Amino acid sequence: MLNSNMIRGHLDMIILKLIIEKDRYGYEIARCIKERTKSAFIIKEATLYSVVNRLFDQNLITSYIGEKTHGKQRRYYRITSLGKAYYNEKLSEWNKMKQILDTLLEVES
Amino acid sequence: MKRIHNFVKNTFKKLPIDQKEVVIERVTQILTEKVEDLMEQGLSLDEAVDKTVIEFGEPEDFYDAIDPSMARNAKNKNLKHYRNDLLFSALGSVIIIGMLIFTNLTYMEDIIWFVLPSLAVLWWPLALLYRYLNQKAGKTDE
Repeated sequence: MLNSNMIRGHLDMIILKLIIEKDRYGYEIARCIKERTKSAFIIKEATLYSVVNRLFDQNLITSYIGEKTHGKQRRYYRITSLGKAYYNEKLSEWNKMKQILDTLLEVES
Repeated sequence: MKRIHNFVKNTFKKLPIDQKEVVIERVTQILTEKVEDLMEQGLSLDEAVDKTVIEFGEPEDFYDAIDPSMARNAKNKNLKHYRNDLLFSALGSVIIIGMLIFTNLTYMEDIIWFVLPSLAVLWWPLALLYRYLNQKAGKTDE
């Protein structure tokens, strides 16, 4: 399992991306990250909650109580237009940084 | 799900009062969702709760993601609380022992019996002193 501080800095972006795809509930986000990275990165619920809460306070996401098929209550998170704009801005920043790092670190073949 | 609620309540007991209730409610919700999902995958209630609690992480993970200095503040506050507990117990035992001496000397001055109950009372501040010193040593080690 990777416990990287480098990923931590991009958690906002990762979680926003997952919520942009569709409305998701808290644990679904954690499960999705685990499944997509094939357990290479696992987000702890303590971290997940604090990031989601921060995004919520910044009006980047909203929440609503939804119903599941089994009748259990779930709090779903939905992206706001501000959240989408923030995500796009962060994504372009990331792409620029990636380009720079690729240039600097790539071994010449 | 009471176990989950108690676990969350205990984990975040050091948070400021204005944030505590919301945090406890929301984190309980996320963990309850996880327990329910795990049960749908075939785990028993106890297994699901155990797995959820183990995988939750430390309260420090929560503080780190918000503001790393918060974790340190929470610890400082903790130490201050231990010191206050110690002062309270010391003052309390002085008053109790004082009353024992007064009662002894006023009503039964020929038999000095206040020493024994005073020794018992002294365990109160001694236990808190031990706890305070342990806490302080733990903090210095960090």
